[in-house]
Amino acid sequence: MTSPLNLPPTPVSPRQRWLNISVTVGSVLLCLILSPSRIPGMELLGVVPNWVLIWVVAWSVKRTPSQGAIAGLVVGLLQDAMTAPHPTHTLSLIVVGILTARLQKQRYIQEDIVSIALIVFGMAVVAETVMALQVSLDRLFSESSLYPSLGEIWQFHQRVALSSAILSSLWAPAVYYPLNRWWERYAPQDLSS
Amino acid sequence: MFALRRWWNRHALKSGLIFLAVGSAVVLRQTDGFVLAEAYHWVTRPLQPGISREERLESSYVLELQQRLVELESQNRSLRQLVEYEDAQSSVSIPAAVIGRSADHWWQQAILNRGSREGVKPGYVVTGPGGLVGRIVAVSPSTSRVLLVSDPTSRVGAKVSRSRIMGYVRGQSNNRVIMEFFDKSPDVKPGDVVVTSSYSRLFPRDIPIGRIESLDLSKSPAPEATIQLSSPLPVLEWVVIHPFEASETVDDPLAPDSDSGRNSARP
Repeated sequence: MTSPLNLPPTPVSPRQRWLNISVTVGSVLLCLILSPSRIPGMELLGVVPNWVLIWVVAWSVKRTPSQGAIAGLVVGLLQDAMTAPHPTHTLSLIVVGILTARLQKQRYIQEDIVSIALIVFGMAVVAETVMALQVSLDRLFSESSLYPSLGEIWQFHQRVALSSAILSSLWAPAVYYPLNRWWERYAPQDLSS
Repeated sequence: MFALRRWWNRHALKSGLIFLAVGSAVVLRQTDGFVLAEAYHWVTRPLQPGISREERLESSYVLELQQRLVELESQNRSLRQLVEYEDAQSSVSIPAAVIGRSADHWWQQAILNRGSREGVKPGYVVTGPGGLVGRIVAVSPSTSRVLLVSDPTSRVGAKVSRSRIMGYVRGQSNNRVIMEFFDKSPDVKPGDVVVTSSYSRLFPRDIPIGRIESLDLSKSPAPEATIQLSSPLPVLEWVVIHPFEASETVDDPLAPDSDSGRNSARP
């Protein structure tokens, strides 16, 4: 990875490092705060873009699977805190982080917005499927399950997965592009490859 | 004569057309171009300015003021309703605005702008202009989170107010909820009003929930009814939080056949 500024990758000044960290953390917080908002025009069938999923994909696309998994865990816990801990978002976001990092996008596909949108589309479906699986397992194995029948769960999954995937993939560049530019320019040492 | 005939033979069509053209032009002229004007009007209809520029600007300004007036009137009406509604309720209820929705699609939640600083506690009951909205499940100093009655895990003990038939209401992620009856052949019909039951542990009695829309009495294991919620959950803007102490804790085991409301906070 060559930096556009031709800076030596190391050492990084402590100030720059703190700036990088705060940009990364700030972007996560922004995505979390966007999640419960219902901005007009962003809604489709009552579903909004899955901002945190977009963030996890943007993070993992040029990093290792383990980095993706950790990001998925952290962001998943944060999202759990905003809704409810069961079924957990951590599982779905960890899967998304690992899969995205395993794709090794830069090896096969040229770096562009469209491929990111495609990855986000696929990952949104994966994430909703993991959630639906958790709900189904709860329904099957828990005595006092409050969830509806399996048929209803998967019907709901279909509706949610499709609209969430479409919306998230359309909004993905808005998160991915600035973040990726920042990381490439100011924190290339953090990226793998 | 012969020459004239030959000319006619050669130019019959041409002269006929010319005659037709001139004739129709004369007719149009005589009717003051009535057909042409109409045709022009129809063709350019989309491009026609309705009124002059100044008039248009002025009328849009008037329109803006009218719309503002409508908005203010409707705000005034809804706030007045809220105030009257609040007066009708117990004195300590807390009005709140809906500031957000669930951060995920698998829950039906709403975020309100009143929290523990204003005295909101988990378990308090939230109602809106149409009736029952949900139950507070989490509070922060200045916000609180409501589990809406439309959430799939929400359970509310309910009764049909006409025939006192008991049952419970569960959400299904949209503005219709399912009511399951404990009776095998309940005396209900579409249009009946459903309210919270007096046996409900987590909700005070007699809060309106909605109206029965359709019935499925052959459903196993229990007959079901689809209920149209009376409070417009997807477009709620203002709600009222009522202090309420659940008569027992949520985690207590429920007798399987008890008529109890259960709007579970997730474990």
